[in-house]
Amino acid sequence: MSSNRIPRIGIGGPVGSGKTMLIEQVVPILSAKGYKAGIISNDVVSKEDAERMRRNLVTERGLMPEDLVIGVATGGCPHTAVREDPSINLSVVEEMELKHDYLDLILIESGGDNITTTFSPALADYFIYIIDVTGGDKYPRKRGLGIENCDLLVINKIDIAPYVGADLKVMERDAKIVRSSKPTVFVNSKTGQGVDAVVFHIIRAVLFEATPKSLVKN
Amino acid sequence: MFMDTEISSEDVSILQMSDSFFPTGLYAISNGLEALSHVKKLKSKDISQFIAVYLKQVIGPSDCTALGNAYESCKKGDLTALLNTDENLYFMRIIEETRSASVRSGNQLLKCVSYFVKNKKMLKDYQNGISTGNATGVFPVSFGVATWSLGIPKNKAGLILLYSFTVGIIGAALRLGRLQHFDGQQIIHELRPVILESVLTNIDRPISSMWQFAPGLDILQMKHETMVSKMFIT
Repeated sequence: MSSNRIPRIGIGGPVGSGKTMLIEQVVPILSAKGYKAGIISNDVVSKEDAERMRRNLVTERGLMPEDLVIGVATGGCPHTAVREDPSINLSVVEEMELKHDYLDLILIESGGDNITTTFSPALADYFIYIIDVTGGDKYPRKRGLGIENCDLLVINKIDIAPYVGADLKVMERDAKIVRSSKPTVFVNSKTGQGVDAVVFHIIRAVLFEATPKSLVKN
Repeated sequence: MFMDTEISSEDVSILQMSDSFFPTGLYAISNGLEALSHVKKLKSKDISQFIAVYLKQVIGPSDCTALGNAYESCKKGDLTALLNTDENLYFMRIIEETRSASVRSGNQLLKCVSYFVKNKKMLKDYQNGISTGNATGVFPVSFGVATWSLGIPKNKAGLILLYSFTVGIIGAALRLGRLQHFDGQQIIHELRPVILESVLTNIDRPISSMWQFAPGLDILQMKHETMVSKMFIT
């Protein structure tokens, strides 16, 4: 393992669950606290997510250099790209670590359904799995490797729960049963509601509340 | 215990290295087939020809030659010659997308093999050459080093390289929806003489006469680099 390894967070979830938007909300909060992040976005058919994040976080808000948002084509196999053969992602991460050793963490986004563990432990140190309420409040109790094994379960789009008949209390209760002591956070990634709690878990469980590298005096 | 003397642990290594499950990231590479499929309605015959041209004009005379030279350099313990092969092949990869994919896959291949092969000096020296900027780790050279380290015979290593390339393109064609699975296997079956001939013609070719010539394929790869929506790295 490289001595300059930067903590890596894998963010997975079904298509449309809000992975990209969660990152767009998390990065500015981390940035305001002095933590610098790089982003790798695995996209099956385009680099649209990477380009959107580049536009939002780099061009419009100036939070990071352009080359800190990298899009990776997955050859149609996101499961392979991040779980069975993470070679290309590892390569990109290692290049990022070499070029930008001042980073505090690297976020790796990938689509992935609930039936796999999504991220190889060789690639990600911490796994956030995001689902949304539109699948119904039965989603957590149906279990699956994503929901059960992730370090942090994020349930998104809570604002529309009443309109799709999803009871958040049921989801919270079932998540506790299925995930035992592992945390679950409810968010609305569009407005940022609940995202502070995601950042809290990242700083505590991934960064171990370390001072941001940019604020450490030599 | 019954032991079949006609098989060896090197044979198992051959299977391991030719298995698409071996982690090198090659599943994400279409070598321009994706770009071609956007401009032409591909049929099974087109895909077979696409692979055959690649094998005869690129993978055989350049990649297989580089592999053979890298393998021989390892055998002789000649690091200078190995680095020379690495440099030559790297600069022959004129398309940026292809070059960087080859380097990334090659580096990850070496990392994986050196995870379970610990006692091969040339493997270590080549990796040191990469980390000090004296080598790139371009895939066919890394593959030569890896297969030598595993005791796989050179000709078999060449076969694995060309077979894996063929299977990789078939896999890409399947995922692009241009083939059905029986057609894919039929193409691999029919290309056996081309694969064999390309290995035998090129595996012992000296590095000074390594070549490649497929300008149409180069242009396709260049087009792929600028595509807005794509599933594959190349």
